[in-house]
Amino acid sequence: MTSAEAVSDGYKNNRVGPILRSGDVALAAVEAVEVDNPGRDVTVQDRAAYVRIECENECVLTRETMEEMLGRHFEMRELEINLSSFAGQIEMSEDRVRFYLNETV
Amino acid sequence: MPLLDRSEYYDLIRTTNWTPSYVSEDELYPEEMSGSRGIPMEKWESFDEPYKVAYGEYVATQREKDSGAYSVKAALERANFVDTADPGWISILKAHYGAISVPEYAAMTGEARMARFSKAPGNRNMAVFGMMDETRHGQIQLYFAHEHTRRSRQWDWAHKAMHANEWGALAARHFFDDMMMTRDAIAVSLMLTFAFETGFTNMQFLGLAADAAEAGDHTFANLISSVQTDEARHAQQGGPNLKILIENGRKDEAQKMIDVAFWRSWKLFSVLTGPMMDYYTPLESREQSFKEFMQEWIIGQFERQITDLGLDTPWYWDEFIRALDETHHGMHLGVWYWRPTVWWNPAAGVTPEDRDWLEEKYPGWNDTWGNLWDVIIENLVEGRPELTGPATLPMICNMSNIPIVGTPSNGWNVKDYPLVHNGRLYHFGSEPDRWVFEQDPERYQGHMNFIDRFLAGWIQPMDLMGGLQYMGLAPGEIGDDAHNYEWVSRYTPDVAGTAAG
Repeated sequence: MTSAEAVSDGYKNNRVGPILRSGDVALAAVEAVEVDNPGRDVTVQDRAAYVRIECENECVLTRETMEEMLGRHFEMRELEINLSSFAGQIEMSEDRVRFYLNETV
Repeated sequence: MPLLDRSEYYDLIRTTNWTPSYVSEDELYPEEMSGSRGIPMEKWESFDEPYKVAYGEYVATQREKDSGAYSVKAALERANFVDTADPGWISILKAHYGAISVPEYAAMTGEARMARFSKAPGNRNMAVFGMMDETRHGQIQLYFAHEHTRRSRQWDWAHKAMHANEWGALAARHFFDDMMMTRDAIAVSLMLTFAFETGFTNMQFLGLAADAAEAGDHTFANLISSVQTDEARHAQQGGPNLKILIENGRKDEAQKMIDVAFWRSWKLFSVLTGPMMDYYTPLESREQSFKEFMQEWIIGQFERQITDLGLDTPWYWDEFIRALDETHHGMHLGVWYWRPTVWWNPAAGVTPEDRDWLEEKYPGWNDTWGNLWDVIIENLVEGRPELTGPATLPMICNMSNIPIVGTPSNGWNVKDYPLVHNGRLYHFGSEPDRWVFEQDPERYQGHMNFIDRFLAGWIQPMDLMGGLQYMGLAPGEIGDDAHNYEWVSRYTPDVAGTAAG
């Protein structure tokens, strides 16, 4: 059990990253995030239908690493097929997607 | 696929704020539809959508999403999951499809308003995709429910609910009309795409998908999590507008819109998603409690994003946190008690093991809600089922249109929040519900909730049968206990090892 205060303060965190539908893209992303975010702790929560992948402050996922982990051609737009949600703000280009926050708390 | 990379042409093709020569700007973008709030045209051109998609990419991606969802459905159809699933889970599906499928078309109308009337070119562009997204959601959810209509007429409520005066449907329509159908483009971007879709739909379309996967309903888990991938994209329309509003000194207005939409969404999900997660989902399939999912999605993720974009936590934050332990338990008890008035069969979810789980997740549950269930259980055990059904009318809130609830028994705090406006007495379920009304009384003052209609004589004869008839609930559609009261045998004295309350 968490105290009411802890529940109330739950938004004071700096976790950002993708929430992906379970499957091969999610599994590849879990590995790719480790590679693309050296030095950052990555937390992974598997909730049967989705996988929540989070880093502190910033989380980057590149097309190149996704291709390496999937062993096939991958376009960044394909991430959308499995990107059900994300924590933080998003910045999407052809080569990478970045999740971030404007301010750290 | 285009020959140029999207980033090389996107800004150019999006530059569509041409100077009109045949009509004035005000005629092209009437304020009541555009909602630019006095902020000049060129300021809206700074709208930079963070999640860019070009039309060719959109079509390719959506085609893959649809083929994925439909092929999973086709592959699993022969497994007959629905015929073997727990009846509580089936009730979740019926309630979900009725409350959600048709309102997707309302969301499409909201997207269309932005696509036509927003002064921000990027907003208009994204909203075109949003329109098509919502059309997809309406169609696919109606289609997935349709195959089950041969099983029971309750499934037909996927299409029927929003066309009926059933009380829950009235509540949902009041909410969706307010957020999607009757707001200007900028308000829609904040209230629908930002507050509702970046925030609360994650509860119903991802939190519930986790429970669905645990329950073995991979068709539904796959469907709703696929729907949410569209939301994750088109929900990004609110953020850039929010930025423009704040930069141009309209933070207070933006904050108010978010606070209204947040509270109204919370109340709707407390009656819809709350009972599903904590009572209808079979105990062994509950990935997390409703409160824990709220902590994950709404507090940890959504509220963090709101504050990062420069807004504050709502003024009622403490009341919201307090209500996480209360509101949906009251909604569940009310829905089960007035079970003939809904189009699904509510699962009680109060076996001894369920109650242990509830006590663990919500300390004090047995001493409050449990005491009321004890009375219901005693009446059922002793053969007095007529005492466990509706004989009186509930109090219904004039904002949320759902029952006014509080903690019962040893934690008693049930309270009405009244307001007299233009000579009419209104009742509200909380201070924030009353506050929402006070922000725009003209918008809300004429609406009659189900009880108002009853007392005004609109519903005849003035009894349960008259009420059911008014709601469009025919025999074969009206709700009853999901498990046909089999769970009550756990409390009968002749069954060994049961805990009687």
